[in-house]
Amino acid sequence: MRVGLFIPCYIDQFYPQVGIATLELLEKQGCEVVFPPEQTCCGQPMANSGFEHLTKGCNDLFIKNFEAFDYIVAPSGSCVLHIKEHIHDPASQKPPEAASSDRTDISALPEFANFPTAHSRHNIPGKIFELVEFLTDVLKVDKLEASFPYKVGLHQSCHGQRGLKLAQMSELMAPPFSKPQQLLNLVKGLQLVELDRKDECCGFGGTFCVFEEAISVKMGKDRVADHIRHEAEVITASDMSCLMHLEGILRRQQSKVQIKHIAEILNARL
Amino acid sequence: MSGSNQKPLEVPEQSEGNEQGSPQWGEPKLSSDRTDFNALPEFAKLPKANSRHKQDHAALAAEFNKDEPRVDWHDETLWWVRQKRDKAAARVPEWELLRDTASRIKDNVLSNLSGYLRQFEEEATRNGITVHWAADANEHNEIVLSILSRHKIDKMVKSKSMLTEECHLNEFLHEKGIDVVDTDLGERVVQLAGEPPSHIVLPCIHLKKQEIGEIFHEHLGTPKGNADPQFLTHAARLHLREKFLTRRVALTGVNFAVAETGEFVVCTNEGNADMGAHLADVHIASMGIEKLIPQRRHLGVFLRLLTRSATGQPITTYSSHFRRPRQGQEMHIVLVDNGRSVHLGRKDFRNSLKCIRCAACFNTCPVYRRSGGHSYHTAVAGPIGSILSPNLDMKKYADLPFASTLCGSCSNVCPVKIDIHEQLYKWRQVIVQEGYAAAGKTAVMKTMNWVLSHPGVYHTAGKTGRWFMLNAPFTVKNGFNTWYRQRDMPTPPKQSFGDWYKKNKK
Amino acid sequence: MNESSNTATRNSRDKILNTVHGNQPAPRELPPLPEGTPVAPGDLAPTFITALEAIGATAYIVSGFDRIATMLHEQFPGARRIVTGCPQLNAFAEAAAAAKGLDPHLLENVELAILPAHFGVAENGACWITETQMVERALPFIAQRLVLVIPHSSIVPNMHAAYDRIAALEAEAPANTYGFSTFIAGPSKTADIEQSLVLGAHGPISLTVFLLDEELSDAGYF
Repeated sequence: MRVGLFIPCYIDQFYPQVGIATLELLEKQGCEVVFPPEQTCCGQPMANSGFEHLTKGCNDLFIKNFEAFDYIVAPSGSCVLHIKEHIHDPASQKPPEAASSDRTDISALPEFANFPTAHSRHNIPGKIFELVEFLTDVLKVDKLEASFPYKVGLHQSCHGQRGLKLAQMSELMAPPFSKPQQLLNLVKGLQLVELDRKDECCGFGGTFCVFEEAISVKMGKDRVADHIRHEAEVITASDMSCLMHLEGILRRQQSKVQIKHIAEILNARL
Repeated sequence: MSGSNQKPLEVPEQSEGNEQGSPQWGEPKLSSDRTDFNALPEFAKLPKANSRHKQDHAALAAEFNKDEPRVDWHDETLWWVRQKRDKAAARVPEWELLRDTASRIKDNVLSNLSGYLRQFEEEATRNGITVHWAADANEHNEIVLSILSRHKIDKMVKSKSMLTEECHLNEFLHEKGIDVVDTDLGERVVQLAGEPPSHIVLPCIHLKKQEIGEIFHEHLGTPKGNADPQFLTHAARLHLREKFLTRRVALTGVNFAVAETGEFVVCTNEGNADMGAHLADVHIASMGIEKLIPQRRHLGVFLRLLTRSATGQPITTYSSHFRRPRQGQEMHIVLVDNGRSVHLGRKDFRNSLKCIRCAACFNTCPVYRRSGGHSYHTAVAGPIGSILSPNLDMKKYADLPFASTLCGSCSNVCPVKIDIHEQLYKWRQVIVQEGYAAAGKTAVMKTMNWVLSHPGVYHTAGKTGRWFMLNAPFTVKNGFNTWYRQRDMPTPPKQSFGDWYKKNKK
Repeated sequence: MNESSNTATRNSRDKILNTVHGNQPAPRELPPLPEGTPVAPGDLAPTFITALEAIGATAYIVSGFDRIATMLHEQFPGARRIVTGCPQLNAFAEAAAAAKGLDPHLLENVELAILPAHFGVAENGACWITETQMVERALPFIAQRLVLVIPHSSIVPNMHAAYDRIAALEAEAPANTYGFSTFIAGPSKTADIEQSLVLGAHGPISLTVFLLDEELSDAGYF
């Protein structure tokens, strides 16, 4: 099984240890993991800001990097959801919006001279997985050699939860389940804390975090307070962007509470 | 009487004595801490942003957040309503099937709206109701005025109607010398306070009881300092009973209108719509054209969903079915378009016309709960308002689809399954394409996109983390950057994951 | 309305209908309606009573109108003006006929209204009352306190069954084709001030529902 590892740009730049943990975790499960070096970003920051028409360059690059793999795995529900929902399929359709003047035509650039203009159908939405769902649904992991003796609060990142349905949503009247919790329960010594609001958004929201700074920070502070109130020592999530935001608030408050991506915990031997 | 539901439904007071920070419906200043891209040297030559509303959501929300205990109180109060909704929905085993059914009934309505409108007009007319058509807000207001003028009446009572808020009927009639008394308690409170409602179901939810006590002291002469909800409600009851008994015209909203029978349904807990309508010589009901449903039995579906979604009650106290005027009474219905027929043509957005105005999306929205309804500067606030308002005025409301983290909770609570968060995303694309995005934002996005489309540039942009520090919108500018104001920056690591991989795995 | 505004509204009508017609999507079928979760017949009245109590009302199962009159005497001893739409209570209260056709404003001082209603709904405690049962449309709202009397056997499980019942009532007798009708679920209430529940907003401050079962003997029941 050849797995293309997609490491979102902010993880690549700020949290390399999350990429390493993801890679090691997948290798321990027997996957052949390859990290295509020319990858950058899924395009979501632009698209969520209303600039989806600018993202063809990112999209094309993504297709070029990843279309050959059996599976594509990323430690981010948000980026995976974005790719699933918005990547265009050059074989079957035109790019989403037609604001051609704003769009970077990467095939016109020298480094992409050989970039094909029409691909075969890439089926990326069908083979890209967020790490947790890849472990539970594809690899069907039911035991882990991991230990993490801490009280952990699980932050349900919205795009993973409500978009990819990694866990049941509190708004729906439907049977409960939680894929991240299912995995965390396999970790020796780990104690999950209950939260008052188990799936409220942290307020990161991409560019929302700066354009709506007041609300973004207030939402983050309230999430952090819920975890602290329930004595979490570590806050985890399957999206590093939420954690980056929560970490920024925790550090500013000089809190001792740590943040860890779920990959780091599932890969931990403490 | 028994059961825990009878306890006073109090929310713990979190900011006793804090009287400041009431949201001003005036001219809040833009927070000086917001990054102004136009002020940065590299964007100096870009055209000035010309499309941002002067008091946009972000600025108004920042103003609201200056009083943090009040934000906590507002958030807790509305979260509590969301929890009541959860409990009520959980008691209905077929809840999700009901949502799906309601959504599909509304699909049918939208697909045959012209047919149902004609059918409704015919049936209602046969029932003795006078049907009027208003293309826009102004025509609606003129129709109401003409009915009042014909009867030489200059005083009327009105029960809650978000449509009349959308049409700014009160201001219009006030200018014409007509005295309008809002009779829903919450609406009366904000009317006396000189503010618009901040929530479509709980109009004065942004006000504390002490503030309402003050307003009543000033306008109704209640004793100063009395802030007991029971007492204040009773004072309003006496005050408004006099209005009900002396006004000859009553205007109500409409929750549902039935094409098959030509009747319409008005739901209230207080009974104010009924008190007004049954005591008046003339009953005017204003409704948006999307309020139609095909058959009376469909009410079974919607009435099961509406109040459970709105307040967690199994049904409103009164669900009144008006089919014919009372003997000797005149009954009018004003069917209002005001942009709805155009909205119907927007494939990506037409589903928002399914809305039954329950406000469940308000109560669940983590942004609404912390920014207050007035920050949306429109009649219908919250997530649903953020997808309805740009249709009315894209420039004025260009900020609203961005007042969301796209968390998706709104779509999950919606009783008619409107894809609210997906429409927020789609509105962002439309607003940018139509040129209503701030120029500075556009420039940042173009730069970012260019770098992210060019792996060579991305990898050589400098020391690890540096490119992000400089360019990513969530870390824009060090020093006084918006991220940094209340959050620390991540510490840039020694090497990126890409660098590590190159060294260790290749 | 004058002629010019009539013309304007006519123009708007055609304009609106044309735009709507041009913009509405392709036809979509109506879905089948759910029937709701079944409730065992024996559980209907208890479920109804539980729902009623949860929304701030009181319910009693009674064997006859004599019993109702006795209980009302006990519960509302000081009520000065009592109006009823139940002929069986005419000795106890002002008869409906006296109020019928009067200016509804004259009902302003009614302290207690006792009215029959068609049926109750188990899932939410609502009672369906039509215009002919109300004496005056305003009466169930303007009275300080409201009493409704429904047949014990009339409870339907949910709102779907309620609308089936409403259709059946109309089919039974044309007099049941209402000009105005309402579901009443509990006393008038508001929680507009800080979400504090207050009973008695504009309408009745209390609601009592009698479930009338004339097959019962007084023994063991009210």
